[in-house]
Amino acid sequence: TAGNKIFHFGACRVSTSMTEIRAGFTAIKANIQARDPIRSLSILSYPHSLHKVKSSDRCCITHHLFNFYVDKVFKHCRTEDSFVNRKISSIANSFLSVRRKLGQCHEQNQCMCGQESTEKFKQILANYEGLNVTSAAMKSLGELDILLDWME
Amino acid sequence: EDALLPAPQNITILSTNMKHFLTWSPVIVQGETVRYSVEFQGEYEREYANESWIPISECSLITGTVCNITEDISATVAYNLRVRADVGAQRSEWGTLKGLFNRITTSLTPPLMKVIADGYHLLVELEDMGPAFQFRVLYWKKGQERRVLQKVVKEVRSVVHLDTMEAGADYCVKAQTYVEAINRSSSFSQTQCVRAHGDKSMWL
Amino acid sequence: YGIGKWIRKPECRNINRTWCDLSNETSDYEEQYYASVKAFLNGMFSEWVETTRFNPLTDTKLDPPMVSVSSTEKSISIILTAPEKWKRSPEEESISLLQVYPGLQYNVSVLNKKTKKRVSFEKDVELFLLNLCSVLLEIGFSKEHCIATLKDK
Repeated sequence: TAGNKIFHFGACRVSTSMTEIRAGFTAIKANIQARDPIRSLSILSYPHSLHKVKSSDRCCITHHLFNFYVDKVFKHCRTEDSFVNRKISSIANSFLSVRRKLGQCHEQNQCMCGQESTEKFKQILANYEGLNVTSAAMKSLGELDILLDWME
Repeated sequence: EDALLPAPQNITILSTNMKHFLTWSPVIVQGETVRYSVEFQGEYEREYANESWIPISECSLITGTVCNITEDISATVAYNLRVRADVGAQRSEWGTLKGLFNRITTSLTPPLMKVIADGYHLLVELEDMGPAFQFRVLYWKKGQERRVLQKVVKEVRSVVHLDTMEAGADYCVKAQTYVEAINRSSSFSQTQCVRAHGDKSMWL
Repeated sequence: YGIGKWIRKPECRNINRTWCDLSNETSDYEEQYYASVKAFLNGMFSEWVETTRFNPLTDTKLDPPMVSVSSTEKSISIILTAPEKWKRSPEEESISLLQVYPGLQYNVSVLNKKTKKRVSFEKDVELFLLNLCSVLLEIGFSKEHCIATLKDK
């Protein structure tokens, strides 16, 4: 089905149309990853995988990452390909809904940020700022499945 | 490029069961073929991407006055849509949808349903309405309206098995759709009742 | 991916077949990978050619589950067993795909060979009972019966 998934981050419950986001990404994955020639750096997994994050910090990291993609990534991924642009728009607008719910959790103190998630997110930003904007944005978009796999 | 050509008018969205169509009135130019192009803008584009618009390639320079925008309305946020006309070198201004469209407002109709008594097995056949749809099926033994049972069907494949019936009893069934993405349900279908056929062919 | 260090595969040097088993090298499914290959003949070498980025979690194919069926007094019990993840060696601990994909679901269909009717069930459990009506059993329901699994289609 459209595969809404309810993510439970402690008290914070976030309903996400995961299948729609996945379908959108799968449709453009090869195209986007082909635009990223850098094999030696990963924005999300370097130096440590997201899977190493403590479960108590998962909500905060997820909230940070959705803000990261909405504020920094999608807008720098415009391509010459109308189909790719439409799928990016689909993902970006789906991210908006999820980010809004995560933001509500954050305001209700259900999405606390520990030391680890703060450190991890700083590392992600450092990885991102280590490249020029377009390369960093395209690499981040190409790693969306790393985030989705980790969330699921 | 002058804008003598009037912009398309009466731009509306017809949205039923999560299928969304943009329609508009034709622009009439005697002896000419008018073509139309459609663009959309999600909340993301308005808030974070300089209010940019995204063309829908399947509805670029088309002669019809309908565009299927289902694929692009793929998030539960507010979308803006616009249409313009072209005749030769003439191009109209954009005609924009009055108000924003959110798929949460789609109208949901009850599912088509066929209830089957296969021997003592109560089965139901449901209409495949696409991946966004689940079905909530209620069934009960006639006369025991207070003991209603429920089955949620997430994927429509073939016939769905509800229950094993007792000989000679009537069983009634009704169903509604549920769309998780917008957290809404349709009204219930008409109730259908069947009776177990004791003598019909059995399993295996 | 993300490390940028190419690892040689000795078992696939100087081979003339056109495949190479990289299960061992890609067994950590929390990582993603690239592979590359080049050809050579009489001292001439081709360029390295790379795969697309490989994500073991989403880019693999799942085998159907094992299905075992037994009949009880008034029902058939159907036991489904998820396939196992690839193991480096027989001694290695078995990991069910249920642990890799917690949301694993099964689509079970039961074909009535007489009426040619197929009934489907969605299950996220590995054992469930299919109730049969008592009349069926009186006409001598044979122990031997077949359940069409997805694989047999």
